Amino acid sequence: MTSYIIRRVLLIIPTVFGALSFLFFIFFALPGDPAELIAGGADRNPSPEAVAQVNDRYGLDEPLIEQFADYWKRTLSWDLGESYEGRRSVNEILGETAPRSIRLGIWAIIIEIVVGISVGLVSAIRRYSISDKLTTIATAAASAIPVFVLGYFLQYWFAVLPGPNKWDLPQWAQLKTQGRGDDSWLLFFIPTGDTWRHLVLPAITLASVSTALAARMMRGSMLEVLGADYMRTARAKGLTERQVIGRHGVRNAMLPVVTLIGIDFGTTIGASILTETVFSWRGLGYTIAEAIDARDLPVMLGLTLVVVLAYTVINLIVDISYAWFDPRVRLGGSETR
Amino acid sequence: MRSERAWYLRVFALVCALALVLAACGGDDDDDGDATGGGDDDGTEEPTDGAGEGGELIDLGTFVGDPPEFLDPALNSTLDAYQVINALYDGLTEIDSTDPANPKIVPLVAETVEPNEDATVWTFTIKEGQTFSDGEPILPSSFQRAWERASDPDFAGDYSYLFNFIQGGAEKLAGEAETISGVEVDDEAMTLTVTLAAPYSNFDAVAGFQLFFPMPSAVDDLADQNEWDDGLMIGNGPYMLEAPRTDEEIILVRNDRWAGDIFGNTRPKLDRIVFRTSADPETAYNAFEAGEGDTANIPPGRVNEADENYATTLDVQVSGSYHFEIKWTDPVVGGPENKLLRQAISQAIDRDEINEAVYEGTRTTSTGITPPGIPGFQEGLCDYCAYDPEAAQAAFEEWQAAGNSLSEPIRVLFNAGAGHEDVVQIMIDNLAAVGIEAQADPRSTETYFSELADGACVICRSGWYADYPTYDNFMYDLFHSDAIGGNNHGEYSNPEFDELVNQAKQETDIEAQAELFRQAEDILLNEDIAVIPINWYLGDYVYNPEKIANFPQTTLGLILWEQVELVA
Repeated sequence: MTSYIIRRVLLIIPTVFGALSFLFFIFFALPGDPAELIAGGADRNPSPEAVAQVNDRYGLDEPLIEQFADYWKRTLSWDLGESYEGRRSVNEILGETAPRSIRLGIWAIIIEIVVGISVGLVSAIRRYSISDKLTTIATAAASAIPVFVLGYFLQYWFAVLPGPNKWDLPQWAQLKTQGRGDDSWLLFFIPTGDTWRHLVLPAITLASVSTALAARMMRGSMLEVLGADYMRTARAKGLTERQVIGRHGVRNAMLPVVTLIGIDFGTTIGASILTETVFSWRGLGYTIAEAIDARDLPVMLGLTLVVVLAYTVINLIVDISYAWFDPRVRLGGSETR
Repeated sequence: MRSERAWYLRVFALVCALALVLAACGGDDDDDGDATGGGDDDGTEEPTDGAGEGGELIDLGTFVGDPPEFLDPALNSTLDAYQVINALYDGLTEIDSTDPANPKIVPLVAETVEPNEDATVWTFTIKEGQTFSDGEPILPSSFQRAWERASDPDFAGDYSYLFNFIQGGAEKLAGEAETISGVEVDDEAMTLTVTLAAPYSNFDAVAGFQLFFPMPSAVDDLADQNEWDDGLMIGNGPYMLEAPRTDEEIILVRNDRWAGDIFGNTRPKLDRIVFRTSADPETAYNAFEAGEGDTANIPPGRVNEADENYATTLDVQVSGSYHFEIKWTDPVVGGPENKLLRQAISQAIDRDEINEAVYEGTRTTSTGITPPGIPGFQEGLCDYCAYDPEAAQAAFEEWQAAGNSLSEPIRVLFNAGAGHEDVVQIMIDNLAAVGIEAQADPRSTETYFSELADGACVICRSGWYADYPTYDNFMYDLFHSDAIGGNNHGEYSNPEFDELVNQAKQETDIEAQAELFRQAEDILLNEDIAVIPINWYLGDYVYNPEKIANFPQTTLGLILWEQVELVA
């Protein structure tokens, strides 16, 4: 087990290094000279003096390899640099944006777990019933509808229509499309005050695809488990259907779903660009997208570094916990006979 | 035995309970930032100028896409940031566009503006008793300080080329001089005397531009002038910053020390304005509709919808031109020898169709480059801007008969993702109908204008909002040979045109000046056909008429925030 963990931890290093180096070089492959863009913006032509100034300040005209070496030297001492726009420290930007993404991610995962697993479970138990068919259609739709389209729809139905300009429903029924409200949180992730109204729609949007997948996976996994020998044995022993499913079925069926959810947690934090943009939820995804547009290299790399780290570490934890839960994996055995 | 109730039912029940608890807790009716009704709540009327004073406005219509790069008037070059800067600062002069067809330049911070006979020396007397929002008096040296700051070659921004108008400005920008020699101040007599590098009769309009706004002595204490933008900038406008700006919000509050505007108003109506940045016009509009903001920008394709449900500024003819530049030095489309081809192109395009299909009929089809609202404007200057496919075809065939041919489709460049795709598609279809093959060449928005400045244009989408309402802002800044490498993306150069523009800039008689500019534009449009005008811009704000009673947008596109008033 320990050797397994050590191997996995060591694997993180080349992963992170590879991902960020790739980004670094891509940045310079993007159209437009970064110094010119930073100096002048898209609308006008900056004077050569302005461009020279920018090159000077950020060393953008040094040979690429030198810049690359410089970058890694600084990053290893956790000096992520400062944003080209506004010269704020990237650490500060990180400190502001990461908690927002994490909170949104936590709620997306909660929705995924609760809704995804229960829906998958119900549709497996009641296979071929109306609820199963409805679930199949709903999950197919949820995973097919692009995230931003879903986001706009939800905004329209739950914020615009109930809002003061249309139906004018009571305050608690009006959800919000933008921002984070008071931004007040209990225990880091429980919204208090006005904040929950800003959280609901982005959380649902972000959770939509992964919830659909979790439901489908749970259904498939549960169906497989329902047909297993040990289930027949349990019934033969006289347990009620509830006990059979609850005690034996669900726990075994959940294993692959747990892995999926673990991976999703890493993904929702980082890959939430679309959702965060549609709802102006200024988390990591939103800020990275903005930084790419503005060619803000330090912000782009710094935040992506954190995302990549989070993703790999969470994956590691999921894999380790998987190994721990399932003795077959831990003991590194071949197929059970 | 333990209870075997399915665990998932338990979890579900827990979630429901949680939801009920949250709904109960979160039910406070405090919608932070909703515009409250205007007027005093306690019923007593304060002895102020305006009725309906008070309230807060949340604006979602100014920053749709990116937070502003600069709020510093010395550095800014975008219209959206200018909206805020205009509320924070007042300049020497102001534009009175109550009669949109005849904008007048009126002194604002200046008491009087007097040019000498040939418009080479301009004397501004500054009104006594005005102060910045922190109480510091506004003196002629406040302007000199700001101008020296903005022309510092290490700090100068995109518009610093305007200092070339002033004697010694070019030397200062090139780093050859310490100060601008043409600027003289006398704080005792409250006079600011500006000697120009060449006669220029519209300098009073330029002097009111953001680049020339005054600065308080606080800027002298800064180690790095770039920090001014990041902190609490002090100005002399109707509003001041409540706190340093963030990427999400810029918050303005009333400046009690404001001296007033050209109409006699001395108190801005609103207490507070919050400018929120949105990711794109669609999400901003959704938020506006959901009641989370009081104003928004009209997203493309939703003009009629916005107009029907809310109030808009669509009735304002903003002095801006939407056109396609042509590379004058291109061997296939440019130069006098290919005039017939350009004529064919211009006449083949159905501009009304573009207006209908893309802008829902809300823009004004161009009959020239310089738009209405600019003194000297005349309708119908362009001979080849009306849709005439037969004439276009004839011109194209004549061009071919002279031995020319298109070896490959003509490339039409534009910045992608900004709503120009449909316009270009219609153009290409129109051209194909008369036998001219063209293809779309979308470029990245971020780098588009840099690429054009580097010479990438063949036929390229362009647009220009007037910086100040003068004819030369269009003719000189866009088509004079001085502007090659800058905003003259087509590299158009005609000595006769240049000469007329130079003459016009110096001409002090308004009528004569207008006539000279029109002659220049006639050469541009009809003799050379160097550009394809498409349409003129309109106001683009939508606002909630149940919250906002008055929301004026000027012909330069600026909102007069001090006049914005809430419904009682």
